[in-house]
Amino acid sequence: MTVLALHDLRHRFGDRTALAGLSVAVGPGEVVALVGLNGAGKTTALRVMTGRLRPAGGTARVLGADPATLGPTAARRFGHVVGAALVSPDLTVTENVRTAALLHGVPRADVATAGSAVVQRLDLEPWAHARARTLSAGNAQRLGVACAVVHGPSALVLDEPTSALDPRGVVLVRELVRSLADAGAGVLVSSHHLDEVARVADRVVVVHGGRDVGELAPGPEMERRFFARVLEADTDVPAPGGVA
Amino acid sequence: MTGLGTALRAETLAWRRSAVQRIATPLLVLLVPVAAVGLVALARSGAVVGAGAAKLAPYATGDAATTQLVAAGQVLSVAALLATGFAAAAAFAQPLADGRAGAYFGLATPRSTVALARCLVLLGWAAACAAGAVLLAVAASAVPSAGLGAEAWAAGGRALVAGLLAAGLALPFGAVATATRSPLATVGALIGVVAVTQMVVLVGGGAWFPYAVPSLWTGMGGPAAASAVGPVGLLLAAAAVPVGLAVVAWQWRRLTDV
Repeated sequence: MTVLALHDLRHRFGDRTALAGLSVAVGPGEVVALVGLNGAGKTTALRVMTGRLRPAGGTARVLGADPATLGPTAARRFGHVVGAALVSPDLTVTENVRTAALLHGVPRADVATAGSAVVQRLDLEPWAHARARTLSAGNAQRLGVACAVVHGPSALVLDEPTSALDPRGVVLVRELVRSLADAGAGVLVSSHHLDEVARVADRVVVVHGGRDVGELAPGPEMERRFFARVLEADTDVPAPGGVA
Repeated sequence: MTGLGTALRAETLAWRRSAVQRIATPLLVLLVPVAAVGLVALARSGAVVGAGAAKLAPYATGDAATTQLVAAGQVLSVAALLATGFAAAAAFAQPLADGRAGAYFGLATPRSTVALARCLVLLGWAAACAAGAVLLAVAASAVPSAGLGAEAWAAGGRALVAGLLAAGLALPFGAVATATRSPLATVGALIGVVAVTQMVVLVGGGAWFPYAVPSLWTGMGGPAAASAVGPVGLLLAAAAVPVGLAVVAWQWRRLTDV
């Protein structure tokens, strides 16, 4: 069964093509990374994946359901951070994760336990009673991830989840993503950090010009192979889909 | 409604902690009784002459306590609309402007329920502020007069209802905020409606125009204009609440490109 799926997505913003037939599927226990240059269409694809943007063409599915009209049953198993997270700047770290737990459908009796666990997991305990607006960019990003996973989702979408993190934060988020996948979750993550995705992803999909132009096997020389794939796509030499 | 209790819990906490609420609450609760007492004292001091004195003339005569509570109702009918309108601009447009609204997609508690809860929390807050302002105005009027007469109590009751109506009339600005996705545009629309209301009152249509009804009903346009406001006018003003709730919930259910 596919946990997260985008099929033949097409969308334009005015004259600019943002998505031109992008398809990606993520199975249970799998971490799939979208990599690409700025403006390649990664974030637009993830906005469709989370229901925030209705595409002009193509379909998106989260646990088999349309994300734009996701019912409570599927939504309880879904988490995401695309752009701004489910964080209120006026609430403390603890209040934010507890509020997120409630809104994600965690039973009221379990909210405090779930909140404490994720605060501990992402090493946010020293800031547990600090207002979100006072956090550094890195801690705020970790709080956003905490709010997205406090309910233990089985489908997770993360857009650039480590962009503001220090090396320790990167390791924490990587281990969290890996452990969720090991527990059976499907994770779709976008990143510019090729070394990082090489460590966490099972598959790396190159997005360029709003479409998938092939996959990169995680491993050495990712940067060289990535640029080679982008160059090939620009010159339209190979058909997309092969693994470099 | 799926998860309304949960959404109310979350939205109440968020609103309690918000900077807008922390600033608006004392302003609304304290400004109204202070303005009412001040207006009446100024009108009776003889310190204001000319055009100003003519404006203050309605407050210069009659029972002081009753006049203060009438003035409280008049101030509250405008202040509640503006304060709740500003609150709606902050609560609905700001998350859309900064992208936080996108996080409300794909939740077990649907975003339309969250939006509905946000409206209800704003309405509850405005009602509590209106009640607090009227209570303080009643206290400020009762203490020097050693009690209130029936007329004063009626003026106090009318002030409270006018405040509630005015707060309800601000709910549609939650819809404006959602449509424009801009707090500034929402505040602009609010100011525009206040200006249009003045014009409608000038041409004599105030008794039927919902945004004019609370002020006119409290006597801001004089006794004749107040008596022209009937049950239909009051019901039209009150209808802003269910209409506002329905439109905002519908908008958030259909929200896209966030």
